[in-house]
Amino acid sequence: MTPILNRFGYHTIGRRQFLRAAGALIALPSLESIAKPLAKAAAATRPRNLVSIGTYLGWHQKAFFPKEVGKGYGLPPILEPLADHQEDFTVFSGLDHRAPNGHGAWSNFLCGNSPKNYSMDQMVADQIGQKSRFPSVQLTAGTGEGSKAMSFTKQGIGLPMIQRPSVFYKQMFMSEADKERMEYMLRSGKSSLDLVLQDAQRLQNSLPQNDSDKLEEYFDSMRSVEKRMAHQIASINDPLPTTDYKLPDSDPITPNLLMEAETLMYDLMALALDTDSSRVLSFFIDGLGQVFSFDGTALKSGYHGLSHHGNDPEMIRDLIAIETAHMHCFNGFLNQLKEKKRPNGKSLLDETIILMGTGMGDASRHSNANLPTLVAGGGFRHGSHIAIDGSKTDAPLLGDLYITLMQRLGVETNAFSNANRNLNHLFS
Amino acid sequence: MGNQFLSVLLFTCAAAQGLRASEGTPVSDTHYDLLSNYCLNCHDEVEMKGDVNLDHYTVDWTRKENRDLWEKALHMLQEGHMPPEDEDQPSDEKRAILTSWLDEYLLDNTPLGGTIPRRLSAEEYRSTIRDLFDLPDYELPLGFPKDSEYHGFNNVGEGLVLSPPLMEAYAKVAEEIANTVYPPTQIAPPSNTRTAGPEEMVLSFSAAKVKDDALLLVSRGQEIFRSCSWPSRMEIMASGVYRITVSAAKHKPVSDEPLLLEIRARELSASDRSRAEIFRLLKVMEVPSTTPNTVTFEADLYEGQTLLFRWANAEMDHGYTEFAKHMREWWSQDSRWLAAWQHAVFPNGDFSEKRVSVLRGLNGWNIITKALANPDLDMSNATMDNELTVELLKIADSNSGMFNLADVLCHYYFTNGPALEFHHASIEGPLKIVDGPREMLAKKLQRQFTGNRKPDQSDESFTREILTRFLPRAFRRPVDKQTIETYLSIAKQHWSEGNSFDDGMHLLIRNILISPRFLYRSLDPAEMDDYDLASRLSYFLAQAPPDAQLIKLAHAGRLSDPEVLRGEALRLLPDHPSDALIQSFTSQWLDTKLLPEIMPDPVFEFSDEEIATAKSEVEHFFAAMLRDNLPMTDFIDPDFTYTSLKFAKENYHYEDKGSSGGGAGYEEGDSEIGRLPMPRGGRFGGLLGQSAIMMATANGVDTQPVLRGVWVSENILGKPPGEPPENVPALTPDIRGAKTPREMLAAHTADNACSSCHSSIDPLGLMLENFDPVGNWRELWPKVNTPIDSTCVLPDGTPIDDITDFKAWLVDNIDLFSQCLAEKLMTYATGRVPNYSERKEIQGIVSQNRKNGNGFKDLFLALVTSETFRTK
Repeated sequence: MTPILNRFGYHTIGRRQFLRAAGALIALPSLESIAKPLAKAAAATRPRNLVSIGTYLGWHQKAFFPKEVGKGYGLPPILEPLADHQEDFTVFSGLDHRAPNGHGAWSNFLCGNSPKNYSMDQMVADQIGQKSRFPSVQLTAGTGEGSKAMSFTKQGIGLPMIQRPSVFYKQMFMSEADKERMEYMLRSGKSSLDLVLQDAQRLQNSLPQNDSDKLEEYFDSMRSVEKRMAHQIASINDPLPTTDYKLPDSDPITPNLLMEAETLMYDLMALALDTDSSRVLSFFIDGLGQVFSFDGTALKSGYHGLSHHGNDPEMIRDLIAIETAHMHCFNGFLNQLKEKKRPNGKSLLDETIILMGTGMGDASRHSNANLPTLVAGGGFRHGSHIAIDGSKTDAPLLGDLYITLMQRLGVETNAFSNANRNLNHLFS
Repeated sequence: MGNQFLSVLLFTCAAAQGLRASEGTPVSDTHYDLLSNYCLNCHDEVEMKGDVNLDHYTVDWTRKENRDLWEKALHMLQEGHMPPEDEDQPSDEKRAILTSWLDEYLLDNTPLGGTIPRRLSAEEYRSTIRDLFDLPDYELPLGFPKDSEYHGFNNVGEGLVLSPPLMEAYAKVAEEIANTVYPPTQIAPPSNTRTAGPEEMVLSFSAAKVKDDALLLVSRGQEIFRSCSWPSRMEIMASGVYRITVSAAKHKPVSDEPLLLEIRARELSASDRSRAEIFRLLKVMEVPSTTPNTVTFEADLYEGQTLLFRWANAEMDHGYTEFAKHMREWWSQDSRWLAAWQHAVFPNGDFSEKRVSVLRGLNGWNIITKALANPDLDMSNATMDNELTVELLKIADSNSGMFNLADVLCHYYFTNGPALEFHHASIEGPLKIVDGPREMLAKKLQRQFTGNRKPDQSDESFTREILTRFLPRAFRRPVDKQTIETYLSIAKQHWSEGNSFDDGMHLLIRNILISPRFLYRSLDPAEMDDYDLASRLSYFLAQAPPDAQLIKLAHAGRLSDPEVLRGEALRLLPDHPSDALIQSFTSQWLDTKLLPEIMPDPVFEFSDEEIATAKSEVEHFFAAMLRDNLPMTDFIDPDFTYTSLKFAKENYHYEDKGSSGGGAGYEEGDSEIGRLPMPRGGRFGGLLGQSAIMMATANGVDTQPVLRGVWVSENILGKPPGEPPENVPALTPDIRGAKTPREMLAAHTADNACSSCHSSIDPLGLMLENFDPVGNWRELWPKVNTPIDSTCVLPDGTPIDDITDFKAWLVDNIDLFSQCLAEKLMTYATGRVPNYSERKEIQGIVSQNRKNGNGFKDLFLALVTSETFRTK
């Protein structure tokens, strides 16, 4: 602030300024008192992984939400494949982000009320992701167009997704040839950097002060690139995980092989968690016009067509068949995580929170309200259907559930998008 | 002790200095008294209403924050926003005394210029790489950081921050480009044979069906996911020669003509929405009989490709005009057939229910089959002039309806034929490795990058030659010897470690592309020089680095001559809708960049093609305005518009005098965009009646008058409203539809705090309520079903009935709009928001231009040659 003198030549502190300053002082202690219980709650047993799974065309609500509330509900058709794990997951109904409707707003799934904002998985990755080799991994099955994104950085950049299982596999279990190439690129890149910077320095010296200051951004950024390279070179000979797992010869990337792609991606995600290659995994399941055949019979229409069922019972039946098939694949994932035991006797599932959901509440109407949501693992008390009455103005939001999940993972936050409470009283 | 003394001394000096700096220019008694009478009641340092304190006896005009403060005060005085209505108002004379005082001091103390070094925006970066390496289709990798918008544009200096993640992305792109020019060696896999039968083929929508051990194809449509099929597991791993065998037969043929099966090579990574014709044709196979015919041939297939099959002479086509014609003929010949389709789409035999989007594939066909088999099928409407038939034809020829009906019709052919039976295909190979597109491209790029080596020329001398030619192009200005030698030493060092010449080139490319000399512009030692002016002009007009002629003129020091600059601007002036300036500027200024992300609610039956047409309209319109030097008033109320006949009929209530049909039955070319005459003074035509703009200011589902109002203020009138106060919840949309938007917005004007801004925003938005979320005209508010009330009173007191009145008002006050557009152009061109003096210069240009015919091209060129444009 420029010192501005009044007509009489002396400073006065304005009444408003004083009040504002006083307000800030009063606020401090209360902030501190909010933060404390959080830290305590997370102390005992903390899961370390987050897997977020989203389906582009959503889930048919009537076949996803159980009829009964609470424990011991009858499994609705789509959840039947998960029968063996009913005590390991919780179904939520009535939650959403109060986000705008339409496919275009699908990314509200992890982003909350404003699609394409900082997504929940990336918030978690920014906090705990650094502890593993890949801070976060974005995967997809069934998309060939590359224009969609489920995870968004703090700056709102949609992260690209790996579509080929073989690519993810190669990143985790690098071949000798790949490793050599990577080392060559790192070493040659780093050793030449000095000369580029030397030239850049000479340029900076020739500029007027203002412009030269602006160029500091460049040097700061280059330093961080250099640091990353140095870190990678230093760790290049760290032992990499190995596996006996073999992928098929070709990647199932045509749209009709969606279920096969899902199965492979689940296998690889289980491997990634087991080897601690990454702790934050996000998996997007796309839906196009592909016509699936189950037991040798083709469905009546493409996946996307069926999602616009217009309440036609036969189309709904076929749609449910596809969504049940997704759950069969998902069941295989839960099986694997449950079987993999940790040294402390717990299963990998206990250490992993799985959020299964969508940004589309009802694809037939392009409505993004009442998003079908399921949470598995992570050491929560499961087995219930938690039904929220979303029509009440103070009803909990899906973001409140996300806050609970994030807190469980050790991310100390009281806010996510338009939510600022949590669901700990219903789900812990 | 000594230290303490020193710091006290320093403090005193600093304080004394501060005092001197703040002395500034005294505010005269006349001005202070006026301020005191009309402003300081609220805006002294005690009240500080709105955080504004105008109680100063001196003003240091050299400080930007002081100028900003007084500029705001001047604006409020000029616009009549201050003093508030319920306070004493100064007479016009008194007001003028204050405004001319502020105007004079602001002008005197605001120097032109102030663009800071700016890195290339993502778009500029992309086009610079395209230009530098001659890679016209180059696209940035997915996830490349987006530029942040600053004052509505992504190329303003303050918004162009360079952050570590962006630097990482630059380094990655540099590596990718280096790999494109010098690809790493690959190991070829051994030869083998793979076979795909009907079960291994992709079924997409109703494009194909498996029946009795064969795959049936029935449509010759170009969109591959509606008409073609391809194997699921036959991806080529190495570019080479392959032996291809295909077996196919006729299915329930109706003639002796052989069927033609197109076999193309499709990239598996290409979008399933691609058109078949973009993929390389390998063979057209003749299928003469109902017993399978097998053909074997050899062809080059490249890495990542697979085979694509299309029945090229099928009876049916997923093509707008083709399909509608086909159905019209069929319906006119067979009234039961017509009645069955009427029943499928209008189950009640009238308009009370219409099913289109739920008629998906087999589902729709089952309904028609049942209807055909029903002896009591309602035949009462089955004539061609019946209104249900007219509507049915319209659907068959509409963008979204056609796909639904055609997908149903596919099942007719699956059931009754004729169809093409695909039995199997196999690929054996690679028989021989060949250069794929990647290797061929690399060889071409290497030749471009290095040029030819002289006989016996050493690596070092050759590379020096390469750098001497390439660096000035990459850095867009002359490069001194020292820089060339620095880069040369990068290669030399690399060779000395035992790496090849090509490895050295690879490393050079990686490094050149992360130099600040490449990444930034406006890096001049002092004033703007001709090279930077060349870049400014070129990135503005072509979004590309300066070409040889600009560099030549810069080199001769002639570009800064306004006449020469004008000539160059004319030479580079974009005139085509697809030109970079037109695409980039219109999409940012008018927010049409949002369109691809808006998915209109299915109730609007607005297809992807229509969205593309809508965006294109704006670009065609803008291009014509500029190219033909049309008057600025035509932006608002022209006697023409650019659209397709089809789009105009379906969305703009356009009636074509020449055609006889009632909407349906389009001719070839009706989907192409062209100039269409329109009477002035209408609802459509001009920016505000264009579908794209009404869509960009809604969300695809419903309209939000406040957002549209803000948008018009900011982008048409050039008066951005202030930020909304914090902690005010947005109005909750009334989902039950009990209130009209106008009734809901009344809450804004009821509350004093809201009304100061919303009284000038909301009316502008309500006035546009007749345009639905895709820009179609509507008379009723949805849900509540009450007539739309679009009346409003403009801030200057002019009463407005609807959009046509507003357009008339704006034509009368066209300088408002011209100034707004000129400032936007200048912001986009110079990378800074015009300051007070610059806006004054622009104002002069705008009003001078109005006196000279008000042509847009004239205005545009005057802006390029202005001092503002030519100042760093």
